Amino acid sequence: MPDLIQSYTIDQFFDEMFASADTPRPHYQALFERFRTMDRAELLQKQIIADQAFLRRGVTFTVYSDDQGTERIFPFDLIPRIIPHEEWELLERGLTQRMVALNLFLQDLYHDQKIVKEGIVPREMVQTSRHFRPEMIGFHPPRDRYVHINGTDLIRDPSGQYQVLEDNLRTPSGVSYVLENRQVLKRVFPNLIGAHPVRPVEQYCYDLLDTLLYLAPEHVPEPNVVLLTPGVYNSAYFEHTFLARQMGVEIVEGSDLIVRDDRVYVRTTRGLSPVHVIYRRIDDDFLDPTVFRKDSLLGVPGLVNAYRKGNVALCNPIGTGVADDKAMYYYIPAVIKFYLGEEPILPNVETYLSTTPRDLAFILENLEKLVVKSVNEAGGYGMLIGPHATKAEVEDFRGKIKANPRNFIAQPVIGLSTCPAVCEERIEPRHIDLRPYILNGESVKIMPGGLTRVALRKGSLVVNSSQGGGSKDTWVLASPAEPVPTETSEAIV
Amino acid sequence: MLSRVANYIYWLARYLERAENISRLIDVNAQLAIDMQSLPGESAPAGWEPLLRVTADEGRFAKFYPEPTARNILNYMIFERRNPNSLYSCIHQARENARCIREALSGETWEQINRLYLRIFHENYDDLARIGESEFINRTRSSILLFYGIFDSMIPRKEGWFFFEVGRYLERADYTSRLIDVKYFTLLPESDQVGSALDLIQWASVLRSCSAFEAFRKNRRGLLTPSRVTDYLILDEFFPHSIRYSIIQAEENLRRISQDSDHHFSNPPVRALGRLRADLDYALIKDIVAGGLHEYLDSLQLKIADIHQAIIETYIDYPLENAPIRG
Repeated sequence: MPDLIQSYTIDQFFDEMFASADTPRPHYQALFERFRTMDRAELLQKQIIADQAFLRRGVTFTVYSDDQGTERIFPFDLIPRIIPHEEWELLERGLTQRMVALNLFLQDLYHDQKIVKEGIVPREMVQTSRHFRPEMIGFHPPRDRYVHINGTDLIRDPSGQYQVLEDNLRTPSGVSYVLENRQVLKRVFPNLIGAHPVRPVEQYCYDLLDTLLYLAPEHVPEPNVVLLTPGVYNSAYFEHTFLARQMGVEIVEGSDLIVRDDRVYVRTTRGLSPVHVIYRRIDDDFLDPTVFRKDSLLGVPGLVNAYRKGNVALCNPIGTGVADDKAMYYYIPAVIKFYLGEEPILPNVETYLSTTPRDLAFILENLEKLVVKSVNEAGGYGMLIGPHATKAEVEDFRGKIKANPRNFIAQPVIGLSTCPAVCEERIEPRHIDLRPYILNGESVKIMPGGLTRVALRKGSLVVNSSQGGGSKDTWVLASPAEPVPTETSEAIV
Repeated sequence: MLSRVANYIYWLARYLERAENISRLIDVNAQLAIDMQSLPGESAPAGWEPLLRVTADEGRFAKFYPEPTARNILNYMIFERRNPNSLYSCIHQARENARCIREALSGETWEQINRLYLRIFHENYDDLARIGESEFINRTRSSILLFYGIFDSMIPRKEGWFFFEVGRYLERADYTSRLIDVKYFTLLPESDQVGSALDLIQWASVLRSCSAFEAFRKNRRGLLTPSRVTDYLILDEFFPHSIRYSIIQAEENLRRISQDSDHHFSNPPVRALGRLRADLDYALIKDIVAGGLHEYLDSLQLKIADIHQAIIETYIDYPLENAPIRG
């Protein structure tokens, strides 16, 4: 029988499955055995079943570059990524700590600014942040929650140490793929997943709804939550409908909403119905044309005033983005220490700030070795990966950085961990990261798992879907000692 | 229910009904074309062209295709993306509407319409030619009917369902009236052909285009004369594709939405639909024919368009300034 995994090689990177060339880590043993005995035809068959399931369920994004309106699925890799429970406990502690500190940080930035006054974070850095909203200074959002959801991107360095690559505090996307991946994997490998104590992820949508309901004005007995989408042409539209459906809330566009006497209503077939909480998937800039961008057609005139009066809650609040500015990221370990008096459990990736003269000089000298990121871009855009860039690209960035140092940070090229992935001919190592989803409602809750993105191009370190990335199902294993529900126990109960 | 959601459900229903009607029309015509070949010497009307008249598409067709060959017409009516009334376009529109309200539909409902769309998206005339018109169309129709089946068993009998039904039956009434209008005049008998084999086949095909042939045979018996067939298709109370039945259904469902009790009409669309229904209840085919069938059908289509407009203005796109606040 052809062994698809036989020629698997591990490089200088940390490999999730293999401790050494032919020794799988204990928590991957069963998975390794299963894939080792699979031939190419069987694997291909499984892949077709999975891909068709995604296509049929409409888990797609639309490619508008051709006028055919072609829909693509976000590539799904069949081999799950496994996180043993001790590792997960560490991540949970680290992510909770970070969430608590970020909330305190935002609260401080919009009130006393102690952290600025004490010189931990430069005033300049706050004021020049594109997402800082001076309009909101002094405002208390419901329950003093300044951030509700964090999609923290984590990577593992060659020693296997987890590090935080960035925070995504403004209604981060991707969670629908986590839930769909699990649904599909359960169909494709029912026995395989049944043989592991995999913790279910389905709870997430209930927890998200709880988080939103917690923000509703207290006197309202049955709050009305809606999801505000930019519309069907948004690339994350699938996710918006998915979450709305799972939570049982209405999905609305800006034109469905109206503000009257500082209260928000939605247009129904029987007149206007009050709205109390808005889970919005549009940026601050587009929320309210009377306050932010005048040309926004996506928003609702008067919404910001209704929000200020406390008649409607927004998730996320206005102005949260100042804390996930890629330059602000540099200060988060200090932020954690400042508010909690603790060392960060999950360290940042080493980062150079081009606003400090010493770092700037270092960055300009070492551009060919560094990753440079534009602080306001996402999705793998506005990035320079020094070692893979042409001379012209490097010089282009050199000019841009000199012209606007506040706009860039640099990091060493990090050897993301690898995990086996199904490739053309056989199973090969590919680089991955992890985005868990952290909810900050009445308490901090973390879905056991997250989105494992995988760079499917050989050797690539960029996992973004716009750059040839795919995803994997992510299994967090239950501790044998503790009776937490797993995918199998759930089925029996 | 959100006005926008009601709007999408309503259009989903209209486009699906339109797709089903087009597919039935093509299927019947394909059968007819074969029957005609077997009648040597009869003066057969051009095989596929009348279809373009039912969908009022002759002008647009001529812009894209030089010749009204069977291949061109089929391509235009089934696959042509630039034809907003092609089978593809209707299914595409239905699916886009469903996509905008995925959260309001059940997962299975969405999967079915998505499957329907993905298949026709990848198909072209060669696929049709390979398996034949009838087989191709039947497959598509079965898939549409399966959608109705899933929808029927999954969707709660609340507002969304009622809007779906209103859309579906208004579309059906409109289609049936167009079909009769076109067929009646293309088929108006020349004296020597009344009762001939050709005449019989033609009128049978009109009935089949509304899935009405067997129902007519069972319920009306007797001759297939133009006035008997049109009577059945316009005024029958029980046949699901007749205009009267469709209007009765549309009215019942609209009244569920408006929650009006008997003899009470709270808003313009309910009033207009009630008036049209009553009109059909008391009409006689001989009066309609005497007053001019074409004029009658024309005015019927205008009334349906007015009812549509009134529904939109009452439930979907009403002015916000004075709208009542509830809850």
